[in-house]
Amino acid sequence: MELDRPVILSAQRLGKRLALGDEQLSILTGIDLEIKAGDSVALVGASGSGKTTLLGLLAGLDTPTEGTVYFAGQPFSSESEDRRAALRAEGIAFVFQNFQLLGALTALENVMIPLELAGRETPEALARSYLERVGLGDRARHTPRQLSGGEQQRVALARAFAAQPKLLFADEPTGNLDQATGQRIADLLFELNAEAETTLVLVTHDPALAARCDRALRVEAGQLHPEQDSTS
Amino acid sequence: MSRGLAQRMLRRHWRGGELRLLAAALLLAITTVTGISLFVDRLERALVLEASAFLAADRRIEGREAPPEAWEAEAQALGLATARTVGFTSMAFSDLDALLVSVQAVSPNYPLRGALKTAGDPLAAGAVTRDTPAPGTLWAAPRVLLSLGLEVGATLDLGAVSLRIDRVLTDTPDQGGNFLLAPRVLMALSDVAKTQVLRPGARVEHALLLAGPESALGAFEAQLPEGFDARFDLEDVRTGNRSLGRALDRAERFLRLGGLMAVLLASLAVALAAARYAAQQADAVAVMKTLGATSGTIRRLYLGQLFQLGALVTVLALGLAYGVQAALFKLLAAYVPVALPAPGWVPWVLGTLTGWLCLLAFALPPLLELETVTPVRVLRRDLAQASRKGPLYRGLGLLALLGLLFAYAGSFELAGWVLLGLGGTSAFFAALAFVLLRSGRVLGMQAGRAWRLGLAALSRRQGASIVQMLVFGTALMLLLTLTVLRSSLLDSWRAQLPEGAPNHFVLNLDSEERPAFQQALEAQGVVPQPAFPMTRGRITAVNGAVLDPKASRAAARLTEERNLSWSGPLPEGNEVVAGQWWDELAPVPGLSLEADFAAGVGLTLGDRVTLEVGDQRFDLPLVALRRVAWDSLRPNFFLLLSPGLLEDRDATYLTSFFLSPERQSTLPTLLRTFPSVSIIAVDGLIAQLQQIVARVSIAVEVVLFLVLGAGALVLLASIQSTMDERLREYGLLRALGGSRQRLQGALVVEFATLGVFSGMLAALGAELMIWAMETQLFGLPAQSHGILWFLGPVLGVSLVLTLGLLATRKVVSVPPLTVLREHGA
Ligand SMILES: Nc1ncnc2c1ncn2[C@@H]1O[C@H](COP(=O)(O)OP(=O)(O)O)[C@@H](O)[C@H]1O
Ligand SMILES: [Mg+2]
Repeated sequence: MELDRPVILSAQRLGKRLALGDEQLSILTGIDLEIKAGDSVALVGASGSGKTTLLGLLAGLDTPTEGTVYFAGQPFSSESEDRRAALRAEGIAFVFQNFQLLGALTALENVMIPLELAGRETPEALARSYLERVGLGDRARHTPRQLSGGEQQRVALARAFAAQPKLLFADEPTGNLDQATGQRIADLLFELNAEAETTLVLVTHDPALAARCDRALRVEAGQLHPEQDSTS
Repeated sequence: MSRGLAQRMLRRHWRGGELRLLAAALLLAITTVTGISLFVDRLERALVLEASAFLAADRRIEGREAPPEAWEAEAQALGLATARTVGFTSMAFSDLDALLVSVQAVSPNYPLRGALKTAGDPLAAGAVTRDTPAPGTLWAAPRVLLSLGLEVGATLDLGAVSLRIDRVLTDTPDQGGNFLLAPRVLMALSDVAKTQVLRPGARVEHALLLAGPESALGAFEAQLPEGFDARFDLEDVRTGNRSLGRALDRAERFLRLGGLMAVLLASLAVALAAARYAAQQADAVAVMKTLGATSGTIRRLYLGQLFQLGALVTVLALGLAYGVQAALFKLLAAYVPVALPAPGWVPWVLGTLTGWLCLLAFALPPLLELETVTPVRVLRRDLAQASRKGPLYRGLGLLALLGLLFAYAGSFELAGWVLLGLGGTSAFFAALAFVLLRSGRVLGMQAGRAWRLGLAALSRRQGASIVQMLVFGTALMLLLTLTVLRSSLLDSWRAQLPEGAPNHFVLNLDSEERPAFQQALEAQGVVPQPAFPMTRGRITAVNGAVLDPKASRAAARLTEERNLSWSGPLPEGNEVVAGQWWDELAPVPGLSLEADFAAGVGLTLGDRVTLEVGDQRFDLPLVALRRVAWDSLRPNFFLLLSPGLLEDRDATYLTSFFLSPERQSTLPTLLRTFPSVSIIAVDGLIAQLQQIVARVSIAVEVVLFLVLGAGALVLLASIQSTMDERLREYGLLRALGGSRQRLQGALVVEFATLGVFSGMLAALGAELMIWAMETQLFGLPAQSHGILWFLGPVLGVSLVLTLGLLATRKVVSVPPLTVLREHGA
């Protein structure tokens, strides 16, 4: 039955090089990747190995210098930036290490943004229900400044899942949090992910977190290897 | 979607304070422009109305023949009020005696502006009347009755007609500053023909008076036939009364200049505030793009915010401007006797336009650039986005600024000077600021720790520091310029009408009476001013060619009989602009003319001018052209002769004296003792001028105040624009163990240095600008303003330091962790 599920995200011969003055810095080379709908994949590796760069390419935030990213079978990385944004609005969500909430807006308004961008009906009611789902129903009118790190990341989770995405990218979602809080956020993330059956791409250097995914891939020196001791 | 989100973001950003500076700058721009325009507009309407009394009308068409009936009909069709006058001098005969009088024959609705005053007795004070002399009667000045020994009710013959003296004429609005030799007589226009004095060639002045709304007056002027000015003169308040005209002109120029500077400063503040807002929004835009916002969405979102903010601020500003202007007038109520005309629509439109132009030109470009922020920024914050349209937007902004400048200045000259001053000084400033920063760093090497920290901060942000110095310097320069110009202007007005300036002029004093008259004055404790000999003469030929007054208006003007005088030394208030004044001790016979008059009639230095005075005739070279201080209320002459040509006994004397209001009762005695002498009181005129100057001064102060506000906003915006970076930097320093005191010290050093340097730049710029303005725009003598070099740096340090420390309170008071968390390391 695994074989029936369609491939939602794939990459072929993906590479990213940067021109730093006269020198060419190769960050990623020859990345091949295939992720099926509903999969959860961990990207692990040492700091500076290129995980975040890869995530940026897969999510269409940045463009590769070689190769192509396909999203739902369509070449994604060769689209214009605005077209990629429109596709993201329809089906891609994010959770970041540093939360990336808009400081001026309230928790509720932050959750509403992607809903409004996607033109959903009744964004407020939907946003409110997701805030309640992450346990922050009573903090809807608070701004990020008034929330702790853990609470901010909960808002970010609500924002990500409220959009009912097909694909969720999470870049070290627990990286800025203490152990206990990180644990609770990770629990909530996997719980919500299981409920929504979202495809998850999770960047982390925490083996325990990686172990909770269906499979793990290791980024090393700009290349991708399957992780040896992935728990089944 | 974006409307709701735009509204929400606007509200949040407003509350968060990010938009307040932008809104304040915009509010100030619109309020200032609308307020100044409204104020100037209403003040000018009121002043012109009041000043029109000097002309007895808003416009006056004057010529040696009667202006055509058709013109009057046309004026009436346009809704203008009209009146006619005919002025001439004639002998008036009583049964026993005769006297030269200046007759003014007027139509029943004369005067259109101002009022006549009459009394029943030559020594009584006059009361305002709305009548004019009925046919068959005349009103005569007190001296007519006193000289001829007549009473009201007696008859007087003017040419072929006998008229009964009905009232004593004490005051006419349009005697202005012209010194009439002969006392005035007012009669009905319908009786003029009967006098038969208007023979061809007689010196008669016909005038058509007009009054009404400026638009109708403009329409009327536009309809006047081509070349009408060959035969007629068109006068308005400014041309009709030079001293008032000058005062109004200068005041208007100053107010416009002030408005211009306020707009410039406010634009600068808007640009800085918008740039900062945009910089703060880059992260949010990256997040929204990550979440699926396209560039179009971002554009709509920020345009939406800007337009909503603009609309709100506009409404608020227009209301505020009306309030400010109304409050000002309330303050002035005691001074403003005339009913205030309602303000026109122009100021509202001008203010709104300015605000939006400001917004579109200065706030829009940085916000539009937001759409180019790349979403990768959420992953790597240091990624700078390349802006494609930056230069285009900036160019458009600059063009808009130029447009604003010219629109405001209302004159290319004014705008040109401001522009030249700004452009030249900024280029110079940038170079100088660079050098100053360099030397600051060298100085810092040998300085203490706080010093080193502060100076290092300055040179680390070299680019930003130069820009900031430029901004501070420019703002300070404009403030200094306006402050100094204001006091030069007020001083020049005050000098023009000093306390105790002569307020009575004495005419017709003959050489035998002179000593007795002086004694009589001195007996009253009044100090007589120098006396000028005066007689009347006519120019009949130039370079041997006899002039025909009918040939052209210039010839007519040239050949008019006019007052002339002679003097060894150059009289006070006169300045030789071409040629050479004769040697006081050994004068060669010669003639000097007022420069504008000479230019108007086409005479140049070296021309030989034939002059007839009585039965004497002189052939004299034109040796000197003079500029005359018309705005001083001194006797002034178009024509001056070298001494020795005419005998003193050929002349009557013109002198003046100051009589305080309490002493006015001595006048009748003087008049009775010297019945042939004519005394013209100009104290009313002086009081009126002083009042006008006082009012305009208040307007000038208010404008200065508004401009100061704009300047402070610019300083604030400029400091705020580097706030985020400062917070980050000093937060880091504190986290690394820098003590509060040391950081505070470093900030003080940083701002004080900025203040001193910008103050010096400002002093230099202001010195140049003021020189240009004073000499080129205001016609004031050039002078150096050493005070600038003290004021500039002192003002610079105190303003920048105060505002800077206030604005950066957070840098030292907020815990370093918060700073680092919120502003990133
Ligand atoms: N825009 C960039 N400019 C310079 N170096 C970059 C840029 N983007 C990535 N790098 C470098 O590429 C490497 C990979 O970075 P990143 O993807 O952030 O690693 P990771 O997320 O695994 O820690 C790092 O050495 C980083 O410094
Ligand atoms: Mg990373």
